[in-house]
Amino acid sequence: MLGYLARRLLMTIPTLLLVAIGVFALVRLIPGDPVQVMLGDAADPAQAAQLRAQLGLDQPIPVQFMHWIAKLATGDFGHSITNNLAVLPLILERFQVSAVIVLVAVAAAACIAVPAGLVAAWKQNSLLDLSVVGGATLLLSIPSFWLGLLLLLLFGLKLKWLPVIGYVPFTENFWQAASFIVLPIATLTMVEIGVLTRMARAASIEVLRLEYVTHARAKGVPEWRVLARHVLPNAFAPTWTLIGLVLGHLLGGIAVIETVFTLPGLGRLLVDSIFARDYPVVQGCLLFTAVIYVVVNLVVDLCYPLFDPRVTVA
Amino acid sequence: MRRRRPAPAWAVGLAAFALWAMLGKAGAETLLRARINADIRSTDPGTNRDANTDAVVAHIVEGLVAFRDDTSIGPMLADSWAVSNEGKTYTFRLRQGVKFHNGATMTADDVVWSLKRWLDPATQWRCLSEFSASGIARIEKIEAPDAQTVAITLDQPTALFLPTIARPDCGQTAVIHRDSVGADGKWIGPIGTGPFKLAEWKRGQYVDVVRFDGYVSRSEPRTGYTGAKDVKVDRVRFNVIPDSSAAKAGLLSGSLDVITALSIPDLEDLKSRPAVQLSITPSLSLTGILFQTRDPLLKDVRIRRAIALSIDTAQIVDAVMLGTARPNNSALPIGSPFYGEAQSHGYEQNIAEAKKLLVEAGYRGQPIKMITNKRYSFVFDASVLVQAMAQGVGINIELEVMDWAAQLDRYNRGDYQSMAFVYSARLDPSLSFEMLTGPKATQPRKVWDNPEGQEMLRQSMMIDDAAKRQALFDDMHKRFIADVPMIVLFNGAELTALRNGVKGYAGWLYPQPRFWGVTVE
Repeated sequence: MLGYLARRLLMTIPTLLLVAIGVFALVRLIPGDPVQVMLGDAADPAQAAQLRAQLGLDQPIPVQFMHWIAKLATGDFGHSITNNLAVLPLILERFQVSAVIVLVAVAAAACIAVPAGLVAAWKQNSLLDLSVVGGATLLLSIPSFWLGLLLLLLFGLKLKWLPVIGYVPFTENFWQAASFIVLPIATLTMVEIGVLTRMARAASIEVLRLEYVTHARAKGVPEWRVLARHVLPNAFAPTWTLIGLVLGHLLGGIAVIETVFTLPGLGRLLVDSIFARDYPVVQGCLLFTAVIYVVVNLVVDLCYPLFDPRVTVA
Repeated sequence: MRRRRPAPAWAVGLAAFALWAMLGKAGAETLLRARINADIRSTDPGTNRDANTDAVVAHIVEGLVAFRDDTSIGPMLADSWAVSNEGKTYTFRLRQGVKFHNGATMTADDVVWSLKRWLDPATQWRCLSEFSASGIARIEKIEAPDAQTVAITLDQPTALFLPTIARPDCGQTAVIHRDSVGADGKWIGPIGTGPFKLAEWKRGQYVDVVRFDGYVSRSEPRTGYTGAKDVKVDRVRFNVIPDSSAAKAGLLSGSLDVITALSIPDLEDLKSRPAVQLSITPSLSLTGILFQTRDPLLKDVRIRRAIALSIDTAQIVDAVMLGTARPNNSALPIGSPFYGEAQSHGYEQNIAEAKKLLVEAGYRGQPIKMITNKRYSFVFDASVLVQAMAQGVGINIELEVMDWAAQLDRYNRGDYQSMAFVYSARLDPSLSFEMLTGPKATQPRKVWDNPEGQEMLRQSMMIDDAAKRQALFDDMHKRFIADVPMIVLFNGAELTALRNGVKGYAGWLYPQPRFWGVTVE
């Protein structure tokens, strides 16, 4: 187990290095530079050159890359060009907001989707199955920003149950904080239920066809016990992999939700930084998201044997 | 040992009343909640800045002089000034009894210290280049003959000295207390003289400014960034809300009081809402179509002129600005005091003439690429209409949509055939021409490369006499229209939506909100 963990962790180093090179190159391939965005339509060439030199952007790109990597090795992600804040604390602060929303949304989606998929598979081709599949497909097809706006208009504007804009950390005021993130979580949950339900259903159908299920039924094991003891654990394993992927995917793609609901999360930080061509922050956010992907996948793989004893980690 | 007696009922009652009064007072704080579409960059005036930063900082700091509503220069921290030494020395008489937010009284020493800080290259002040060798004039001396007087000597006379130090994007050349900066010279926070103090900046979420109780307002009526600044709310919160739909929902649900810099589609949507009032003010921004006069095809003035004659400016402006702006082919904005009869003559649509010019130029339908963006809906809409109208005379324009940073890059390098572009407001007519005029060899972003135009521009920056300046601007306008380096289409409008409970708000030519004189119910 420990050997496996060490091997996996070692393997992440070249992965992250490749990501770093890719991110660095991609960011610089986008036309437009931060100095121009800062100076706008009045970019005096001398002033622009001075600012560029001050930010170290006048150095050759390989030199800039080496500086960045050298600093990264010491845990320093650099400083934001737009507001001179240290990038890592900025990312960690924003990540907390995104992480709470994504984790709760994925957990909630899994709690609803896995049983729904299982029941749909159990009653395959019935009206119930049709409704679950139909509902999941519908949720899957709705763009998250549109769904978010609809919920915002309904619960914020029409019914006035929940606040429309704002954010408070949980440490400041729990209930207020909760009221601000209910809608974003609900939106993400609904979107992810679609993907997870279909996966859980497909996995359950496969398991239901296996001989040990027939065997259990033949032994006279009650149907609920067949589902709970034999089908659910075996159908959950493939869904678990997908949950890991969804988690990573959401952390990278939460910008839309954070923009609609005015949340100061990682996604919005990334989008704002791209528009401002704030290279250190863009690089930092993308690299950080890559690390999260790697960690989530590692955790998923390490947890796999818990759900499927046939898989061993060595 | 004596037993403690319970407090008499009246004392308990009094304490309860005091508590209730305190809570009541705390609960009664008047808060005005405004929206900004992106976070501010810093609180250091005129250094690391953008429009939102300027808007917030203008509530906290003030300079010696400031722009009035009509873009003329008025007194702010200086009560009066005299110009001597052939227009080179400005002697400012400071207002008495002006307090900084830390309670200290402002003296000439503070002004000298602040000015010297702005002129230190390490500060990275946006307007430093204006006072360098290539700028409007160099500052040779800053002196304080007494506690209420500051004298600034330039190396040459210029009409732009006061307008430059009043520029909002220069942070109004703010006078700040030296404790705004640490012993190491690093910025701590603005200790200014403005009507509001900075209270809290929650990055990515909001900036709070609170009323400065020690503020002594000027007596003249509120005008531009000067005059009376009578604060009628306890706190203003600038909420960072990038998404316009979320901002609208905030306004309609009552969790937001003001949305500034409203887009045209949002204006349409909010027009019919009974709980919302709208403030529409002409602004000094400028939208137009730029041509690269070095382009093999567009270097022929006949083709550029044909495009100008193919379009109906009034129709475009009506369609994209929905009646909030007027057509204008002049580089001078309609709101400028120098906009006169000469400037009102621009391009009249003339299809026959346009076609004739195209034949003369030998144009055979070669595609002309026009860069545009969707960051500003009116810029994109205007480019679509220009494309359609030019098509009417046989000109083949292809639109290329970019994000703003990418377009700015092409603009600054002069790397385009044509582009639909929007310039931010310039408050002085010389500066309006300056943003367009210059040698492309050294300043590729400039669109009008005409040596005579450049010479006239230089003169307009030196001369203080209004009539002589007017003559120069009239002449420059005629040459500009003849050269067609760009087609100016219109000046923008500043659109603000307010909840009905907000009273006393007024927009002005400079597209920035002012929250003094404003009440909220």
